Amino acid sequence: MAARLFMVMLTLAALIGAFGCSRPIVKPQGPGADGGGVGGFPHPGMATGGNISEQDAEVLQAQLKTVYFDFDNYSLSPEAQSALQYNAEILRRTPNTMLIVEGHCDERGTAEYNLALGDRRARAAADFLISMGLPPSQFSIVSYGCELPVDPGHNEAAWAKNRRVYFRVNR
Amino acid sequence: MTHIYLYLAIALVIFSPLLCSAEKEKLIIDVDQPSQMKMPIVIPDFPSDPGGVINGKDMAAVIRNNLNATGLFEIVEPPQGMEFLDPTSEAWKAGGAQALVTGKYTINGSEISMDLRLYDLALKKMELGKRYSGEAQSYRKILHVFSDRILERLTGALGCFSSKIAFVGAGRSRELFMMDYDGFNLAQLTQNKSINMSPDWAPNNSGLIFTSYLRRNPDLWRLDLDTLKQLPISSRPGINASARYSPDGSRIALSLSINSVPNIFIISPEGSIIKQLTSGRGNDISPAWSPDGAQLAYVSDQTGSPQIYTRPTAGGPGVRVSLQGSYNTDPDWSPKGDLIAYTTRVNGRFQVCTVKTDGSDYRTLTSVGSNEDPAWSPDGRMIAFVSTRNGAKHIYVMDAKGLVQTQVSRIPGKSPTWSRNFN
Repeated sequence: MAARLFMVMLTLAALIGAFGCSRPIVKPQGPGADGGGVGGFPHPGMATGGNISEQDAEVLQAQLKTVYFDFDNYSLSPEAQSALQYNAEILRRTPNTMLIVEGHCDERGTAEYNLALGDRRARAAADFLISMGLPPSQFSIVSYGCELPVDPGHNEAAWAKNRRVYFRVNR
Repeated sequence: MTHIYLYLAIALVIFSPLLCSAEKEKLIIDVDQPSQMKMPIVIPDFPSDPGGVINGKDMAAVIRNNLNATGLFEIVEPPQGMEFLDPTSEAWKAGGAQALVTGKYTINGSEISMDLRLYDLALKKMELGKRYSGEAQSYRKILHVFSDRILERLTGALGCFSSKIAFVGAGRSRELFMMDYDGFNLAQLTQNKSINMSPDWAPNNSGLIFTSYLRRNPDLWRLDLDTLKQLPISSRPGINASARYSPDGSRIALSLSINSVPNIFIISPEGSIIKQLTSGRGNDISPAWSPDGAQLAYVSDQTGSPQIYTRPTAGGPGVRVSLQGSYNTDPDWSPKGDLIAYTTRVNGRFQVCTVKTDGSDYRTLTSVGSNEDPAWSPDGRMIAFVSTRNGAKHIYVMDAKGLVQTQVSRIPGKSPTWSRNFN
């Protein structure tokens, strides 16, 4: 119970951190020069791979749970939170791993809005893990919107599988 | 005696305008008239050049299709055997036609010359007569240019039949393609085997900006139309998405999620940030410029569901303009400035609708299948959009009232963007 309360507080702290008024001041810079971003997630194309063997990476990839969402929603359900807690435990044992946190949506709605929604889902999942003490430098996030469904079907069963955050082990 | 002649001359000068106005009115389509009727027009097949692979029937069909697509005309069947009749003949009016378009052509090797005319049948007067010559295989281009002129003559504003629509493949390939506005002359623009999204034409037609995963992140790229080379513009961490050139091409609005939730930014065409326009807690995406560049419409889900807002680019609060429905996305501001088209969810499906810029006068333009992602034509008369009404996603074109809706893409496609005229 105490652990759970601690978790909620951590999540709140993370939310305040993410949504608080300490927004970075944006200054004109060179083309795309503000990459990297202090306190943010690195560009996945620039992120270097982790420092684990191919076999370990495969084992880790198989263990990590995918997190699912409701339609047009990026909040973490109790099931999503327990999946993330499970992932956090595993990741604590493999500190040198780099992860790409992929946000995905179902096919409904428009591609651009879904891209924003996927970004928000990936951020919510990564922020939750960071709130559990994992280092932000371990994650880069990327939204695929509705561009990469796992199930090509056009029904609720397929859509439910496609509204997800997938943790890709980056070697 | 001389006095009498003088008085007569003065009387004629004074009364001649009255005499003129007592005659039939000039052929005009008043597009601002809400109860405006379609103008009946007859466009007979052109007499065919016997040796050619091109025939006069297809040529007349290009102009018929163009005028029909605007929703402003009723294409009247020509009376039997009328092809070669005198344009001043009363017989043309049999089907109620008020105007007549005729064409003649000759082919000389790979060259074609065309004589195209528009007549006012009531006044028995030629309103427009043009002679064109060019490559025979680009005859459609000539017919589009003449169709643009017909609209200019009848409505006061040039048509946009010489424009192109770029889009993203919706099949296995997510490459960028372009085609004439009517679907002809399909050309593939990229071959990067990546996921490409949200193309937008540069206002001078020199290239397109688009979002691509070429470097594993949704970054903003520019494609040069002459060289087909792709160059990165904005590769900031997070999304670099839904980018749109300002009408004068001097700025780009897009959604960035650098260290934060997706917000609307304005950057230079080279990628430097000029300003951050929104900073709310919602996902802000899909900016659309007003034609004067002073405002942006965009999507925000700050209230919990995606809705359309407008906001001055100089700064100021957002004003919600989508007042119906719980899911409204993809705004596009009419080039005439008066309407915003967007996608709205109705009974679990998506439809294209328009509102005035204050949110009033809501109208859904589509009803069959799912329809989304409207893009205005540069003259504001038509809207390209995506529909699944016949299965796969395809690009369709309709007039601004939704009266005439036609599939134009020959391959599955999405995210249409409409160029200005190519001349």
